[in-house]
Amino acid sequence: MGDFFRSVIEIISIVAIPLILILFLGWGAVRKVKVYEIFVEGAKDGFHVAVRIIPYLVAMLMAIGVFRASGAMDVLSSLVSPLTNLIGMPAEALPMAFMRPLSGSGSLGIMTELMKVHGPDSFIGVLASTMYGSTETTFYVLAVYFGAVNIKNTRHALPAGLIADVVGLLAAVVITRVLFGI
Amino acid sequence: MLNHVWIALIALGILVAVGNDVRDEITNPYANGVLIQGLLEGLEEGALEMKSWEGTLVIPAAVFNKVYGAGAERDVRARVKVAGGQGGTIFVPVTVEMPEIWKTRAARGQNADRLSGTVATLNAKNGTITFVLEPVRFVKLRAVTKAALDYAATAVTIALGLIGIMALWLGVMKVAEEAGAVRLLTKLLEPLTRRLFPEVPPDHPAVGAMIMNISANMLGLSNAATPFGLKAMEELNKLNPKAGTATNAMCTFLAINTSGLVLIPATAIAVRAAAGSVNPGVIIGTSIFGAGCATVAGILAAKVLQRIPRFRKVDPDVAGKEQSHG
Repeated sequence: MGDFFRSVIEIISIVAIPLILILFLGWGAVRKVKVYEIFVEGAKDGFHVAVRIIPYLVAMLMAIGVFRASGAMDVLSSLVSPLTNLIGMPAEALPMAFMRPLSGSGSLGIMTELMKVHGPDSFIGVLASTMYGSTETTFYVLAVYFGAVNIKNTRHALPAGLIADVVGLLAAVVITRVLFGI
Repeated sequence: MLNHVWIALIALGILVAVGNDVRDEITNPYANGVLIQGLLEGLEEGALEMKSWEGTLVIPAAVFNKVYGAGAERDVRARVKVAGGQGGTIFVPVTVEMPEIWKTRAARGQNADRLSGTVATLNAKNGTITFVLEPVRFVKLRAVTKAALDYAATAVTIALGLIGIMALWLGVMKVAEEAGAVRLLTKLLEPLTRRLFPEVPPDHPAVGAMIMNISANMLGLSNAATPFGLKAMEELNKLNPKAGTATNAMCTFLAINTSGLVLIPATAIAVRAAAGSVNPGVIIGTSIFGAGCATVAGILAAKVLQRIPRFRKVDPDVAGKEQSHG
């Protein structure tokens, strides 16, 4: 079963990009688009967009870095753990919940660590990996996407994103409890 | 909102760092300023008159544990360098066998490869030495400083790393647009996109880019998804009457995007497989459920929040309409 999934994923990740390239560019050629010229014209934007997001990304990552390095995550976890215990979420998974919206590499590290300590097929192992797959790094995405179009007033994007994160993480706890819990 | 969360992250981080460091000052876990007594082995008469002397330092486990509470099972032995005799300096290079407390001490001190201290007394006859290690202070504040600087540099690395991949996918996207492939996709999904983004004309290029972004995300092609997503934001911004403020469509799009619905969560599966799971793919279903709930919640939240006065007041589309009426 595990091997089957692994090979499916491997095939998808190998085939997807060449397939998209040939599909879109080939279609363009069939429709008599000047593929090379048009490609270059589109690609020109790449540099400007990348440079434009720098200040937004610096602001966001700096704040996240300070928060992570200070040990504030542990303080928050210990404050919230009585609440999350009520819904059957183990305290070990809390740093994962806090880290997930903040940092992709950070939550990847926590997930790997939890699996090393508790085993990948333990309740906590399954929960951590489900949490990892249940939402995205909201703060990073907001900084990059709004940065690309110079938007400073993000209105309700952050609360909406955080609500989605909380619901996703809670749903991960519920489904893991139902399917793999004791 | 983002302003508040941003300053909260920084302020909370610095406050907790100060708190941790003050606690360390009071409890002194690194035994700053405590005199440590040891024995220099193989010390010859007159050796210490030399500029520096290298040899073995032995600290009995009992003495070590008395200083640090615990940490040593056996006597601590280390090759050390003593320079300048009494009142001089002792250098203890970090080794694998060293007790953990010394390793962390070095890692959090000025120099990660060695501990250094001041020699208080030195008896050349029987080889006894007492010394005080350099104090370890403000560990968390130092970490915070380092993180702030490092992450600022990381941000630039990430952004510059995007240039190539952005150029590639924006080029492909442009060709697909010219060929009409994107328009076909948009037509297919029109019933859905019209409801999600009522402010965006259904045949606008923004819709195509958003669809490409969400599909790339679902397939787990995250480095193709970002360029499509940024293209979508640019197109959405062309419809934005007020530069610098997010529109409803942008917020809804990002709510979907940050929910991260992926058909096959490849990273998590790879980590599970590497950790020796018997069934790494078991989380596919649970992740789709979790991210599905997140997506629905995100869309609903965006749709509800855009109506509350605080966010409606600054809605670029609303403000634009009111201006043109009056």
